[in-house]
Parts: sequence; structure tokens; C-alpha cells
Amino acid sequence: TQLVASGDSNSIKVFVRVRPLTQGTGLTTDGDQSLCLTVTSPNTIRLLSKPEPRTFTYDHVADMDTSQDSVFSSVAKNIVESCMNGYNGTIFAYGQTGSGKTFTMLGPSELDNFTDELRGVIPRSFEYLFFLINREVERSPESKSFLCKCSFIEIYNEQIYDLLDTASASLFLRENIKKGVFVEGAVEKFVNSAAEAYQVLSMGWRNRRVASTSMNRESSRSHAVFTMTLESKESINEVVNIRMSQLNLVDLAGSERQKDTHTEGSRLKEASSINRSLMCLGQVIMALVDVSNGKNRHICYRDSKLTFLLRDSLGGNAKTYIIANVHPGSKCFGETLSTLQFAQRAKLIKNKAVINEDTQGNVR
Amino acid sequence: MASLSSDEWRTICDKFTNAQNLTEVESRNDPENDPFRSKYKARELLREIYCSLKSFEAGEGEEDSGGESGDQRPTEQPVDGQREDVFGQGFSGDSPAGLRAAKLGAVEYYLGVNHVDTEELSAGREHLMNCMKQLERCRVSCENVSLFIHVRNQLGILWAGRDETETAQGFLETAESIYQRYMKEDGSPPTDMTEYFTTEENLLTHQERTKRFELAYTHTMYYLAQVYQNLGETERAAIYCHSTLQRQLQLNQFNPMEWALNAATLSQYYITKGRYMEGRHCLSAATVISGLAGEVPSEAAAQESETESERREQLRQKRAEIARCWIKYCLNLLRDAKKLLEDNIGELDTDRQEELKRERRREEEEEEKGRKSALLFGSEDTFDSIASLEEKVHCLFPLDFTEARAVFLVGQNYVTQAKEYFQMDGYVTDHIEILQDHSSLFRALAFFEEDLERRCKMHKRRVDMLEPICSDLNSQYYLLIHRQLMFELAETYSEMMDLKLTLANRQADTQSLDNHTIKKFNHLCSASAKYFQMFLDSLCSPEGKFPEHLEEEVLRPALVARFRVARLHSRLISSIPSVQLENLNKSLENYKYVVQYCEAHPEAAPAVETELELSKEMAGLLPLKINRLKARMAANNSGMPLLTD
Repeated sequence: TQLVASGDSNSIKVFVRVRPLTQGTGLTTDGDQSLCLTVTSPNTIRLLSKPEPRTFTYDHVADMDTSQDSVFSSVAKNIVESCMNGYNGTIFAYGQTGSGKTFTMLGPSELDNFTDELRGVIPRSFEYLFFLINREVERSPESKSFLCKCSFIEIYNEQIYDLLDTASASLFLRENIKKGVFVEGAVEKFVNSAAEAYQVLSMGWRNRRVASTSMNRESSRSHAVFTMTLESKESINEVVNIRMSQLNLVDLAGSERQKDTHTEGSRLKEASSINRSLMCLGQVIMALVDVSNGKNRHICYRDSKLTFLLRDSLGGNAKTYIIANVHPGSKCFGETLSTLQFAQRAKLIKNKAVINEDTQGNVR
Repeated sequence: MASLSSDEWRTICDKFTNAQNLTEVESRNDPENDPFRSKYKARELLREIYCSLKSFEAGEGEEDSGGESGDQRPTEQPVDGQREDVFGQGFSGDSPAGLRAAKLGAVEYYLGVNHVDTEELSAGREHLMNCMKQLERCRVSCENVSLFIHVRNQLGILWAGRDETETAQGFLETAESIYQRYMKEDGSPPTDMTEYFTTEENLLTHQERTKRFELAYTHTMYYLAQVYQNLGETERAAIYCHSTLQRQLQLNQFNPMEWALNAATLSQYYITKGRYMEGRHCLSAATVISGLAGEVPSEAAAQESETESERREQLRQKRAEIARCWIKYCLNLLRDAKKLLEDNIGELDTDRQEELKRERRREEEEEEKGRKSALLFGSEDTFDSIASLEEKVHCLFPLDFTEARAVFLVGQNYVTQAKEYFQMDGYVTDHIEILQDHSSLFRALAFFEEDLERRCKMHKRRVDMLEPICSDLNSQYYLLIHRQLMFELAETYSEMMDLKLTLANRQADTQSLDNHTIKKFNHLCSASAKYFQMFLDSLCSPEGKFPEHLEEEVLRPALVARFRVARLHSRLISSIPSVQLENLNKSLENYKYVVQYCEAHPEAAPAVETELELSKEMAGLLPLKINRLKARMAANNSGMPLLTD
């Protein structure tokens, strides 16, 4: 049976999670007791902006009391299930540093015991995935088998580093007609259980921290992408069906650091200190090149590594959830607003199935 | 009112050098938790310089009020217009008072930039405005013109960052006009601001002064390009991008590959505006300048060293990108020509062709004139190479097959070049996009081909290049491209089918087509229907269910595909009644779908107006035809093949 891609353009869902106020964590927001927002319903949030409060609507809004398990149930359960059915799935965590991204995704830091009630979306996804795998295999031990591989990379400054092989030089993105976009030469570890997967994840996570101190990479400025590739084999009457799917778990760079690349509006790009380089002129020109008039043009500037790698998740036919983490403190108002706005824009990313149909109206 | 001693002066110069070094070099190594350490140190030094300048060397015959009280206009007026004549009033630039103002202004300037760098924007703006006030007291001259430009550049950046684009525009446009007037009236190499705090022996050469001054103005152009873009004045923004590029080239202040890529991108702007002469010029310049980046290192050299390998990758990739911009040039030129020449059924309109050919001579003259007035790239060394590259392809619309073929061949040549780098293994998306362009080139050329047999062969080439990929491509990862390919193949087969039929009809009428032709025709017809159906299947859910509501992006293609499937089935030729019946039923079913969908979703109707109208008509007529066929089948009853319909 051939997997037929779905045209479901609501493939990007947004989940907003409000973290509790911080106490004594060394964050600048400590001791900030006044709130800048309230959760008004399971899918709306009201931001106390001036002169009038603004309400934002998402697929789900979780308040401060929401448990890790319920985040997992609303966000990841469905995605893990569709991975079992051969779909690709991606979960992004977005938000300001200190807004609870890591807590949501991993759980409390230095967590080795992953049976902890506070463990995050990632360990829970592993458990659920292997639970489903084992169930399938038990049902039909003769005909079904699964193969699970993990890779873990970091994108910093448009360079790709392998977190499972810190000795390797930076890696390249490539494409294959059968398996899509992949990181060439990235280490892939086979895993047989949730515990093993979690081990791979913690090793990479440690390496990321080491790299941020020893190699001067700021982890708040880097994106980390953990990819689990699931291959399922089913043999029915001598016919073997192989299905591949990917589960991407992405920890995005702190949103406050994105200012220089995104949400900057009308800011001018300054000349680089190297005299010969007016790097951003190209971007200006790019913005002038019209897409709407049906003319066919080529833009020489390539996608960022992250969007290229996850192209399929952003407007493709994968199941994608964005978890936007926000801090409720009023000192974080600006960041929170921009996170909420980003999350709203993300909803607009759609599967742009533009068909080159030139014969408009030429009925012959 | 003491004067500075030479020792004191030397101390100031040293402090300045130190501050510059802290700002530009050391600040790069500042720790993450103290990112502005060096800048803060530099700021202290600048403040000290300011105090020294202020307390010593007060100008003669001048109220040292910093110009604030004496000014008649409000101090916080941010908009820089051309309200006053900066060339006519105030101290002359080389007078002691003028020089003092310029020096104080320069320190304010550096303090302003320093505050902006450390994210203290209001303080930064205040310092920059103080610099402006100092300058207001002086006439523009070679001693201070550079500062006049620099401070406005900075204020432009600052205000644009606060979303006050018009204010930024004011400063930058004033900078532009000051530069132009200065160059017209004086033009001697102006003093650079760093020279205010330099001892005699370290003054710059004339050449270096000119270089720095021109670069400051290039930045003005570059910022104006962005300002106009932000204001939505694309035409003007494009002109300023063009001038920026031209200045970089003339003054030899550019990185060749970066420049070439920018010029190639600019060509795409011109193409989308239908301005092929400018587009071609940008592309030719891009190709020539990219050549200045040097030879591509060999594979062997790349294996030897990492730098060579990186260089090889960079050069090959960027040249391939430029080739792809050329492909688009050829493609759009052919397509626009086609649009100009086609009649209402999409065939070549020969009257129009004759008329355009007569107009051609006048256009050629205009092209010459246009070239003279247009912005052109090129330094003395490169101008000829650019011009000779331009001659290799026309920028006027091709009007017949020979001319179209010439454009096609140039495009095809770039297709080969681009594919050398963007190979399928490693660059699936890029490779397929290039193939799609190649196919479109054939399609556009086919329009000009009068021999239908040969035209058919061109479409066959398109099928040959796209079909194998369409079947190999994993639609789990390449859904969109896969859909595009299916749709294009469906349309190409359908086009070939039409050509075959036209050809056959020239020889005989449909009734007496020979078996071979019928077979061929049916094959093309089914192939087309097959791909439309594959496209429609790609919209289904994993359970194989067709969506009840079609998303906006696929609405028209989906309905058109249904409509086309319907038509294709009604055109299949068969002499077996049961097959005929099956085909007609299939046809009716699809026509009905279009009609029913539009009834259930009235908002869909405008997207497929023509198709809907015809579908309604056919949905009314087909049942009659089907019933007639059934009746005849029943009458015959024997199941014997009927002769004809």
C-alpha cells in the first residue's frame, strides 16, 4: 500500500504554555510578581497590553498549573501515533530563554531518572513510541518489525554540528529523491527502547553544553534538532512493505536572540565592517522581486539551514506542533507579545501547493 | 582660553587611537556576560577627549554655548530637510572655529555611535544630534564634508530602527544631496574624521581619503535602497540598489561573487517587470564579475586542502545560481513573446507577427537609445566583456521560430551548466526545478514551431525528462513538487494528443482513422488521464478518501483536473460499446462532480467559470448519449461490436 500524502493544511498546530513565576533561579525575571497575561479559556490568552488588552487564540493554551502529562497528551500523543502510521512529525519548542522550553521538552535539568513525574514531552514520546511498537510486534510477531535510529544535531551560525560526534567538522545538508533532506555524515544510533533513546538524547544534550563553553557556542543562540527515524517492515504473503517516518524534536534558539534575523521590521541592515561587503543588499533586492505577477524567477539566496532541514514540517505534509512557551511576568511583556505574535504567524504557514497550471481558461 | 600644547594634543591623539582600537578590535573578544566592556572603556576615553577639547582651545569670538542658545530652531527637531543652505552659511570649514566645531562634532559622532552600539539609543541619538548642531555652525567644505555624510548615515539607521522611516529618509537624502553638491563644487579629497585626531605625520594619502569618502557615500546609497524598499517604493529602491552596485564596481570596493549574486538577483527584479534590456545587462555583468573570483579549484586540489574544497564548492554553487537566473531570463523572454503573439486559441497569430516585425526596426533603435540612458555597469576593464556577453542573446521579443530557437539554445546551455552543480543526488529540489524550467523552455519554443510533427517531438522530450523522476520521487517528502510534475505530465500528454489528432485530421476525418493512429491517440489520452487522476489521488486522506472541502491552494487545480479527466474519457476512441459506455459514465461522473461541488460550495464557482459552464452542459447532454448507446446495445443484444458511434 502506497502512502498517500494528505492535503490537510491545518498541519501546523500551536500550543501555548504559560510557565509559573520564577523564584530564586537567578533569572532577571525573579521576584516579578505582577502578571502581564491571563489564560481565559483552553484556547485563548489575554495579554494585558495598553490601551486595551488583546486576546490571542490558539489550538490550545495551557496555564501555569498544567501537568507535563497533559502537555504530552495534547501535543505529542497524536504525532507519535501518526509516526507509527508512516507520517513525519515535528514538535518545535519556541520562546524566550527562561520561559520553560527545556522544562517542557525534557523536564527538570539533570534528570537521569526518566520515570520522574516532571519528565517532559521528549521522554514521554519515547516511552509512548516504544509502547506502540511493542504492542504492534506482540500482535503480529511474525510479520512486523521495527527499526529505530536517532541523530542529534545543532545548528549554530548556519553551521551544522553533530552532537553525537563532537569530533566531527561541520556537516552539510543534502537531499535524496527517496529519503528527502538529511544531514550528510551525521551519526545515527540504533535504539531498542525508550531508555536507550533517552541515553542518546542526554549524551547529545551534555555535548551541547560542553560545546557552548569550550567552543564558544551559545546554546541560547543555537537550534538543536533530535531526529528519530522509524522504519517499519511488514511482510504479508511474501510481499514486504517498508515505511519510513521521522519524528523531529526541535529546541529553537531563544526567541530574544532572533531579533537580528527575524521580527525586525523596518530596521536597516548596516554595512559590514569589512569594507567590501554590503552583504544584505541581496536581501533588499530579493524583497523587490515580485512573486505575484506569475513571472518565473530565481532567487540566489538559499534558505536558512533550519528551514531547509524542516521544510517538510513547515508547510509540507507532516504533522507539526509548535509549543510556544511564555513567561507570565510583566517584565517579559515585550518578549511574550512577540512570542505570541510569532505563534500566530506560524498558524498561517500553509501547505502552498501551487500547481504550475499554465492553461488557465484555455479549454480545448 | 588656553591652547593645547603639543604634548597635550599627542595625549588626545593617543586616546583616540586607543578608543578606536577598543571599539573595533578588542570589543570582538569581550566575554558573553560583559559584552560591551571594551565599548564602555572606549566611551570613557571619548568623554575625556571631549572635555579636553572643550576646556582648551575655545574658539575666538565665539559664545561657547554649544550652539544651543543661539539657535533659533527647536533643539529636538529630528527631521533633516534641506531648509538651509549648508554650503552658504556659518564658519568656513578651515577656520579655527570651523575646525573646532568639526572636532567636537566628531567626538559627539563617535560617542553617538558608541551609545547606539551598546543599545542606549536615546543617548546615542542625542550625541548624534549634538554633532549635527556643531556642524550647523560650519559651511560644508573638504575639512568636514565627510562628517556631514557620516552623521546622517548613522541617524538614518537610528530612525529607521525606530520605525520612523520618513525621518531616516530625510537624513539620508540630505546626505545624498550634500555629497552631490560637494563633488560638483569642490571635489577635492576630503579630510577623514579619524584625521582630526591624528598627528601630522599620520595623515592619510589623497587616495585613501577619496576611498573612505566614496565608501561613506556608497553606504548612503545602500541605506536609501533599504529605506525606499521599506516605504514600498520598489522602483526607486531598485535604482539605488543598482547605483550601489555600480559604485562598488567603479571604486573597486566589492567581493566578486557577492557582487555577482546581487547583480543576478537584481536581474530577476527587472525580469519580473518585463525589462529585459536591464535584466540582460545585470546578468552579463554578473557573469563577467563572477569570473573575477578566479578559476574553480580542481577536484584534486579540493581533496588536498579544506580551503580549496570550500572555495570550489562556493564558486561552483554561485556560478550555477547565476546560470539559473539566466535560464529564467530566456524562459520569460520566450513566454512573454508567446503571450504577445498568440491568438485566442493559443496559436500563432500571423497578422500580429507581421505587424510586430514591422515595428521591430523602431524597437531596435529604441533599444540603442535606452542603453544610452540606462544605468550601466562596468569599470573600464570590464565594460567591453559585459557588452560582448550581452550580444550573445537578444533582449527584444523573438518573433519567429529562428529567433525563438536562439533564445532557447542560450537557455538550454545554462540548463546544462546549472545541472552540473545541482545534481539530482544531493540537490533534489534544485535539480527538479531546473528540469521544470527546461521543460518550460521546450514548451515555449514549441509554440513557435510550425511543423506539428516536430512540435510533438518537443513535448515528447518534456515527458522523457519528467516522467522517470515523477515515478521515483517520494511524495512523502516532496509532495508539492510531485503534484506539479503530475500536473505538468498530464497537460503535456494532453497537448501531444491534440497535436496527433490535428495531424490525423489533416489526412483523414476521425471516422476513418487507422488503427495505429487510434492506438497512439488512446495511449496519449489515457496517459494524460492517468496523471490527472494521480494528482487527484494525492489529495486523498491516508484512508483514500477524497476531501469534502478542497483547500484554497488546490481548489482550482483539483476541479480543473476533474474536468479534464471527464473530457479525456469522452474522447477515448473505442468500437466496443461496453467500453464506450464505461468511458462515458466515467466522464459523466467527473462532470457531475464539478457541478455538484460548485453547488455545495458556491464560493468555488468563480475559480472555474469556463469549466463549470461546460461541465453543466455536458452533465445535461451525456445522459442522452449514454441512453442512446444503451438502447442500441439492447437492440443489438448480441454484444456484437457496433461499427461507429
